[in-house]
Amino acid sequence: MTPLLEIKNLKTRFYTQDGVVRAVNDVSYTMDSGEILGVVGESGCGKSVHALSMMQLIPYPPGKITNGEVWLDGQDLLTLNEEEMQKVRGRDIAMIFQDPMTSLNPVFTIGFQITEALLLHNDMTKREAKDRAGELLELVGIPGAKDRLDDYPHQFSGGMRQRAMIAMGLSCEPKLLIADEPTTALDVTIQAQIIDLVKKLQEELGMAIMWITHDLGVVAELAHTINVMYAGSIIETGQIHNIYKETKHPYTIGLLGSLPRLDDAPGTELVSIPGLPPDLLALPEGCPFAARCEYRIEKCLVEKPPLEGIDGKDHSVACWRWEEIAGIGSK
Amino acid sequence: MAQINPEEFTVTDFAVREHRSLWGDAWGRLISSNTARLGMFIVILFVFSATFSHYFWEYEPKKDLDYSLKLKAPNLVVTEEIPSIHPFGTDKLGRDIFRRVVHGGWNSLRVGIVAVGISLAFGGVIGLLTGFYETVIMTTVERIVLFGITGFLLGMLSAWISNQLIQLLVFTLLGLAAGYFKDFLEGKLSRVGIFGLLGALGSATPALFMGTSVALVCGILGLLSGVLLSMALDGRFFSNVMMRIMDMILSFPGYLLAIAIVAFLGPGLGKGMIAIGVVGIPVYARLTRSAVLSVVHKEYILAAQSVGESHGRIIFRHITPNILSPIIVQTTMGLANAILSAAALGFLGLGAIPPEPEWGAMLGDSYRYLTSGAWWAVLYPGLAIMLSVLGFNLLGDGLRDALDPKLRT
Amino acid sequence: MKAEMKKLVEVRNLKKYFPGTEVSIFQTGNDVKAVDGVSFDIYEQETLGLVGETGCGKTTVGRTMLHLYQPTAGNIIFDGVDLNDLGERELRFARSKMQMIFQDPYASLNPRMTVGSIVGAPLDVHTDQSRTEKRERVQELLDIVGLNPDFVNRYPHEFSGGQRQRIGIARALALNPDFVVCDEPISSLDVSIQAQVVNLLEDLQKKLGLTYLFIAHDLSMVRHISDRMAVMYLGKIVELADRDEIFLNSLHPYTQALMSAVPVPDPDLAETKDRIILDGDIPNPSNPPLGCNFNTRCPVATDICFKEEPEYREVENNHWVACHLVK
Repeated sequence: MTPLLEIKNLKTRFYTQDGVVRAVNDVSYTMDSGEILGVVGESGCGKSVHALSMMQLIPYPPGKITNGEVWLDGQDLLTLNEEEMQKVRGRDIAMIFQDPMTSLNPVFTIGFQITEALLLHNDMTKREAKDRAGELLELVGIPGAKDRLDDYPHQFSGGMRQRAMIAMGLSCEPKLLIADEPTTALDVTIQAQIIDLVKKLQEELGMAIMWITHDLGVVAELAHTINVMYAGSIIETGQIHNIYKETKHPYTIGLLGSLPRLDDAPGTELVSIPGLPPDLLALPEGCPFAARCEYRIEKCLVEKPPLEGIDGKDHSVACWRWEEIAGIGSK
Repeated sequence: MAQINPEEFTVTDFAVREHRSLWGDAWGRLISSNTARLGMFIVILFVFSATFSHYFWEYEPKKDLDYSLKLKAPNLVVTEEIPSIHPFGTDKLGRDIFRRVVHGGWNSLRVGIVAVGISLAFGGVIGLLTGFYETVIMTTVERIVLFGITGFLLGMLSAWISNQLIQLLVFTLLGLAAGYFKDFLEGKLSRVGIFGLLGALGSATPALFMGTSVALVCGILGLLSGVLLSMALDGRFFSNVMMRIMDMILSFPGYLLAIAIVAFLGPGLGKGMIAIGVVGIPVYARLTRSAVLSVVHKEYILAAQSVGESHGRIIFRHITPNILSPIIVQTTMGLANAILSAAALGFLGLGAIPPEPEWGAMLGDSYRYLTSGAWWAVLYPGLAIMLSVLGFNLLGDGLRDALDPKLRT
Repeated sequence: MKAEMKKLVEVRNLKKYFPGTEVSIFQTGNDVKAVDGVSFDIYEQETLGLVGETGCGKTTVGRTMLHLYQPTAGNIIFDGVDLNDLGERELRFARSKMQMIFQDPYASLNPRMTVGSIVGAPLDVHTDQSRTEKRERVQELLDIVGLNPDFVNRYPHEFSGGQRQRIGIARALALNPDFVVCDEPISSLDVSIQAQVVNLLEDLQKKLGLTYLFIAHDLSMVRHISDRMAVMYLGKIVELADRDEIFLNSLHPYTQALMSAVPVPDPDLAETKDRIILDGDIPNPSNPPLGCNFNTRCPVATDICFKEEPEYREVENNHWVACHLVK
């Protein structure tokens, strides 16, 4: 089966007063339709930037996609001009963001914003669009949906606004929904509601979802596969069971080890990763994680390891020594 | 457990960023902008020529008079007719316009500095205090002082009417008492009565010596003042009142208000400076207040309070350094404005007393000769005004871009 | 177990209401009942964790305990002294014993002051030390929190988030406090840095004998660092117990829902986890429901829950709950 999305060698740079920020460095992966992919990493790892790059939403200046191909349904999105891209956005790929208060326009009603999206991409009358909008709000679990179409964003709570965003994203039945930290700003009980909702919607509608977050817990609950990013590159990727249970990359191991868990035995110590993430203005040669890695050898400082597949498993690691580190899984 | 190793830290800590100060960054941005450089050049030229001419180039305006040279065109070469060089020509009294323009710069500079100084000093303090006390609760001492001053100001009215100093004392004491007993005053209807009564009696009794009508008026004033003082005056109320007073000043068109003040105070460049300064106070008050409000909610102010720092220390060490950026920009633009206003006043014959050289006054003297062909008498003072205002505006724009926090990494 | 230990802080029926927004000149909206009758003790050298979601009042509790906000009602007794009885000057002195670490490492440090001035500010205010003494103390503090003491003259913007948080910790420790309120100290930090800072806090607690009130919304982190935990909802404490007790034997329906909502980074557990998904949103603190605050979302609410507020009482040894359904 041909994958829905195929990204090849994506590179994005930001040209600033202080120098060149290498935000995304040679990222390649594929997604199948109906797959839920978790893209995980800390701030500055490039997870959001690479998604924006895919949608050609990187402002130039100072940003520029210097290299790469993004194949969606037989088209390389990076070769499209703005007009063509606008047809793709919203219809084939939809994106929802972290803060629903700023991603929804406060001076228009929710209903207006959803119908606007519908009318842009479909041949509908206003009446049909409004009905569809009401259906969508119901689909995302907003009580009294039809009446709430005339409400403004500030009349909705945080969780409800995020649901409205999801409704907007799904309105044109996209093939791929990109969710950039959609629950980071929400309370944990509301987050649980949204995750539950997204799982149900995905089963019903069957679209592929890319869920970008720093929260390894959320990804474990939701995703089928995971990409772990560090300093603009993917350093480990694969099926979630493999990543969580048979972690290979020292960074991922460190990350999982530094998370406290509710079922930890008392007295468990948190393993912290020493040092700081590298400055993207001056990325070192070789493996970006080498400076902080306890397993580093000479080679790591000089040559950047490529993503290597592990035989027979849906699991790839970018580390020179992954075979020696075999067997260390998370707790 | 992975230990935190300080030695390991220094390696990865500052590996890439050299020490850069925020002001250094701003300066760098300022220098790199062409328009800002042009503005700076003009300003420096202006300031330099003004100060240099004032201290080193003698000029006595009162003695400057030579009808034989009246309204001569600019000449760069000495001729039989005109024994001296006049690059900008001469005006209606035969004075060298070049010399007067240069010396006029000194007057304009002074006006700018003093007027903006007045606006900044008063407006800035008002803005600082209103913004701060709107958010932070006053201490007892601060409240007593505030109420005392309010009482004093209210008492001035009564004292003026009855011509008695004791009224001032009565109201100040009333104010101090109101500040001290604020906690006892909360929510009690009787306090309004008590203070009103005290005010009325305290004011009317000594005024009886002056006559019953005076005593009646004072009694009413006393009642009102007492009631006012008995209200739960707090930071928000104070800020509200101050800002409404600023609004009142702002509701007058600037030039008209300045003219009115000069008409009241009398002619003279010094009075002009005061007028322009007063007109500008609300602008700085509003600006400072909004800057303070944006800073006072930040966590480092709360942190300072939790450490136990006093309000004065918080205002000076924490708030003031962080609100400098918009104030610097406004001051630069304000200088431009002040020069323009001074020129306007001078043109109308207010402000500088002739024969003091002042660009606006020079324009006022000379515009009627335009029809008879003496364009130089109007062009050069006009150019001087335009260039100096332009210079400050360009510099101000450049400063705004340089200090804009959004551009800071 | 805890009975023999000395109580450092006692909070009795603390209330903090904020005035409502003005609806018109004549009418103000209802007060926001941020903290509505909260009582608990903190023992010496323990860490009490305080968790809850938006609007529960946990940050307000922390700030009111240090008298950064004036309490609307209730008593805070610190080391036997009721803070309400203290005058302004005595209160400023008491401040030197109770300090706070703030959430936002980018906003809690004055960007125009050097690190040395920031950390030394408490010393300026409360001590008569000479400049050299203060400088030495500041360098000592920076060292304790794992920063290079040579960086005293740098400005906050030259440091990363985790390092700025360490500066905040150094500032809090300057006067050798007994009690430190940690108000969401790690929420703004990257995950890998969070562990560093938490380890540091635990380390410092052992070395300096500190008592912590650790306020956060990340349940797993709070559980990791605390000895006892209190769960707040809409201005009230709904459950308070030893850390393990609360996890293994949570009694209040909200605590149970909260626990089940926390995502666990383990796909197998995630599948088999008992999920309690709450309905609806958190009510507005200026308009709390009648009866039990939680009745709008509680999966097991009964008649009495809509009429009467449940009493907050000790149902088992050192396990306090406010729920009608727990006997």
